[in-house]
Amino acid sequence: MKPAAFEYHAPESVDDAVGLLSGHEDAKVLAGGQSLVPMMSFRLARPAGIVDINGISDLDYIRCEDGVVRIGATARQSALEESGEVTGCAPLLAEATGHVGHRAIRNRGTLAGSLAHNDPASEYPAVLMALGASVTAVSSGGSRVLSVEDLAGGHFLSTALGSDELITEVSVPAQSGGHGFAEFSRRHGDFAVAGVAAVVSMNGSGVESASIAAFGGTSPARLDEAETALVGSDGGSSAVAEAAARAASQFPATDDIHGSADYRRALIDVLTRQALQQAIAGAQEV
Amino acid sequence: MTTTEWIGARAPRREDPALIRGRGRYVADINLPGTLHMAILRSPMGHASINSIDASEARTMDGVHMVITPDDIPDHITQFPVVWRLPGQKDSGIPALAEGKVRYVGEPVAAVVADSRYAAEDALDAIDVDYETLDPVTDPEAALEEGAPVINEDWGDNVAIHHVFAGYNALGECHYDAEAFDNAEVTVRGRLKIGRHSGIPLETRGIVADWDEIHGRLTVHSESQVAHLFRTELAASLGLPETAVRVLTPNMGGGFGNKWDRYPEDLLVSIASMELGRPVKWIADRREGLMSTVHGRAQVQEWEMALQSDGTILGLRGKVINDLGAHLHSVGIGPAWVTGAAAPNQYKIANYYCNVIAAATNKTPASTFRGFGGPEGIFGAERMMDKAAKRLGMDPAEIRRKNMIQPDQFPWFNAAGAVYDSGNFPACLEKALEAADYDRVRAEQKELREQGVYRGIGISSYIHVSGFGPSPILGYLSYYTGGYEGSTVKVDPNGKATVYTGMIPMGQGTETTLAQVAAHHLGIDMADVRVVWGDTDQTPYTGFGSAGSRSNVAAVAVIRAVEEIKAKAVRIGAGMLEADAEDLEYADGMVSVKGAEEMRSVSLAQVAQQAYWAHALPEGDQPFLEATYVYDPPNFTTASGCHVVVLDVDTNTGRITFRNYVIVDDCGPVINPLLVEGQIHGGVAQALGGALLEEFVYDDEGQLLTTSFMDYLLPSFTDVPDMEIHHVVTPSPHTDGGFKGMGEAGTFPPGAAVANAVTDALSHLGVEADELPITPSRLWSLIQEATR
Ligand SMILES: Cc1cc2nc3c(=O)[nH]c(=O)nc-3n(C[C@H](O)[C@H](O)[C@H](O)COP(=O)(O)OP(=O)(O)OC[C@H]3O[C@@H](n4cnc5c(N)ncnc54)[C@H](O)[C@@H]3O)c2cc1C
Repeated sequence: MKPAAFEYHAPESVDDAVGLLSGHEDAKVLAGGQSLVPMMSFRLARPAGIVDINGISDLDYIRCEDGVVRIGATARQSALEESGEVTGCAPLLAEATGHVGHRAIRNRGTLAGSLAHNDPASEYPAVLMALGASVTAVSSGGSRVLSVEDLAGGHFLSTALGSDELITEVSVPAQSGGHGFAEFSRRHGDFAVAGVAAVVSMNGSGVESASIAAFGGTSPARLDEAETALVGSDGGSSAVAEAAARAASQFPATDDIHGSADYRRALIDVLTRQALQQAIAGAQEV
Repeated sequence: MTTTEWIGARAPRREDPALIRGRGRYVADINLPGTLHMAILRSPMGHASINSIDASEARTMDGVHMVITPDDIPDHITQFPVVWRLPGQKDSGIPALAEGKVRYVGEPVAAVVADSRYAAEDALDAIDVDYETLDPVTDPEAALEEGAPVINEDWGDNVAIHHVFAGYNALGECHYDAEAFDNAEVTVRGRLKIGRHSGIPLETRGIVADWDEIHGRLTVHSESQVAHLFRTELAASLGLPETAVRVLTPNMGGGFGNKWDRYPEDLLVSIASMELGRPVKWIADRREGLMSTVHGRAQVQEWEMALQSDGTILGLRGKVINDLGAHLHSVGIGPAWVTGAAAPNQYKIANYYCNVIAAATNKTPASTFRGFGGPEGIFGAERMMDKAAKRLGMDPAEIRRKNMIQPDQFPWFNAAGAVYDSGNFPACLEKALEAADYDRVRAEQKELREQGVYRGIGISSYIHVSGFGPSPILGYLSYYTGGYEGSTVKVDPNGKATVYTGMIPMGQGTETTLAQVAAHHLGIDMADVRVVWGDTDQTPYTGFGSAGSRSNVAAVAVIRAVEEIKAKAVRIGAGMLEADAEDLEYADGMVSVKGAEEMRSVSLAQVAQQAYWAHALPEGDQPFLEATYVYDPPNFTTASGCHVVVLDVDTNTGRITFRNYVIVDDCGPVINPLLVEGQIHGGVAQALGGALLEEFVYDDEGQLLTTSFMDYLLPSFTDVPDMEIHHVVTPSPHTDGGFKGMGEAGTFPPGAAVANAVTDALSHLGVEADELPITPSRLWSLIQEATR
């Protein structure tokens, strides 16, 4: 478990970083290293060059501006747990962070790195889909903003990013409504077998809006059929059950050693109910 | 009598201050000047023939000193042998490299020695192996079918052994009567499966070999649990005189049995060091640790129990199919044999028959693992007890009570040949039930079920035939090593003692235990006893070493050596006190005239000084104050006990939540309660891993899917319940101190206790948890099938 040889670069600015990425055939960004380093050690990843962004000090921030939480690419996952901006404006993100690995992992791992890695069992891509978040991707040619749904949805351990693009920021619109989060993992801190994140807002007549996303399948997925079933309903238990059933059938379930596809669908049903109940209860308090 | 009552004291482990602070020194920490590093090319396929290996490019790469392919292994090198060779068992050894074909993913195919591990791994990529895929066989039952691909051609088939326990006990009486099954009022059948898993030491395997050309000596730094036997076998395989090999063992980060075995890398590293004249080091990374360190436990069992309708067992018969993996390893089919011998468990089962079949499969060889087949036998016995109770509508506690061997029935000769020396099985059961508040929990269970909470209670009693073992019996069982343990105790001129042992502390606290025993019997401070281990040049030979709960055997060797020293101290003291030896006694580190202890006594230190000055030694005595005793136990010791588990099952997700875990353990008198509890905690945690989480999963091609800790799930502290431990003490009648082996017992009952509890929780659905590990997905499927 020793990585193959690679060239190491430690740029101090975003410009230098994207310059290195565009100049290098086969370079990879190194953020927290919690996914990349193990893959290199197993020689599953053999980048010729490493562009270590940890020295770019302007990327280490979490701010809340104009109702949007902005998270820089080197902000650590553990900082999200502690940040008043995150717990205040996007409590779903803070809650889900507690389920990402263990504290020692979160002390190194980054939110942007998790999105770029896009493990289908990872909490963040789905959570950020449910929150309607987006990323800023910079390359030597300029920058663009992509929704997390476009970045990660439908992809398996890959994204819509070009190899020369660097995510500099994740922006999360302040959560409107109540949220729910539920996951099932084999042990505390493991990647989830399945999980569901939801944001629900209510008005006088019932559910006004709902966004529901799930993870643990072939890719993170927004479950719009479940959302449709819920919106306009009274948010009562039969509406929740109907939404959960649709979530289960829409979920891109797959088999692996931790569970069959059928089992995962059953979990999505149970977890969607839990997440929606929590979200609706939260929305009613708002 | 002594006042220094070290035996029974909760002495903290003297190993801990260094280990806990990260100051331990493991094989990986040994960096000799000029060390080269080895990396191993392993088979990526489950079953394939090797047409050719082209290493020409690798040999020319920068930093590469040697590439070992089968052609590079000198002709005189021989395979490591299988130590336990039961009659009828197929022949095999442990080759250094795959010979002509690969039989499991991870089998060593070639090795590279280079300046660094990085360079060595780069060179592996340049070795071109031309494989031709062969049909794999991964299921042990399929492996036994006519026409199955044969893994070891010289065997003719995949049957490593077919061993029948035909009801003979150790007295030679046959107790198998098939008619009893035909005529029984009730027969109950069960088909059980135990998943493939293993002991996973924190410290992976590793070895440093250092050939000294000038003295013609190979020094090996290894974490073998049995350094002397390792020396014997390594010397033989390398064609060296045994005096030319020295094995040093630094701290060991866990062994769990799998470090008892010998491995290909041990030979490869030694061959390379001798060829290159430089130290060569190999440390397994976690991935190769999981795929190349022996696995264990995997079995399919089929049982039939015959009973009277009042619950009296008339007989037990069955079949145990052991998923052996590609070939026999150091202990042969030993664990599966032990399963057959242990399955009668605590019960008066005179009528017994068991067909043990070990089937070769395209998987990592299965061999030694803490418990050594015993936990598998207990799983079979205790699941069958619960199935029988359910069929008869009896309480699971009641059927056990009814059939238990009673305290006045020892020695008990079970119908599989094992002899139980002592125990009080009913007392263990009752104590466990009481501690778990069994009747109340049973009553609550009913109410909870109405509220949709599915609570289950699982009982598992166990025996552990421990303290291996009398050498003549090992000989009778064709186990080609001795079962004794020796100890040299030396008292230095200042009166402090050093104990030399062949045992290797691997987490079980050997150093502490032996110091305690020596201090207790010498009547001196524990701090004045040093324990020397881990150097075959200094320590007494052992063919068994740290394996199979053997501190009790080693403890007796220490006690007897100390007794010889005390006798000599009295003889020397007689001269010093101008008294007759018969009028003297040894107590509390003093030799004194009986009845006049205050007035006329000399200390051990004063005696020791005389022993070294040798100015006036008794006639016939030599200088020094030391003795060696090699203790060969006259019999096995029988540890026993009972676990009671209370847990809840979430029927929506298959999740299990523990509510209570009660343990009653009888390992005889307890040398150190702190250590005994630690061993039980660890053993239970490990067995819960096998019951709920851990499994080496292979696909149909023989590809190992669990090669990291993301997929091979070990229990961490949030997965292990709090445990309540109680003791029942029945001393072994034939060991000094009455101690019994205890390092493994924790692993015996948890599998059945958990499976019984899960089955109990879901009794309204008729779910039977017969396959370990009970993963959430597996349990959910069982619930689906039952409710469909
Ligand atoms: C034991 C363990 C348990 C874990 N458990 C979980 C879990 O339960 N849930 C979970 O979600 N994750 C888990 N993780 C993964 C962890 O959250 C990682 O930190 C995360 O997936 C990757 O973030 P990173 O900053 O470490 O990225 P790195 O490992 O540095 O990089 C990962 C990938 O993203 C790319 N990348 C990184 N940053 C950028 C960027 N700014 N722009 C473009 N590309 C970029 C890299 O090139 C690489 O391909 C676990 C990890 C470990 C080791």
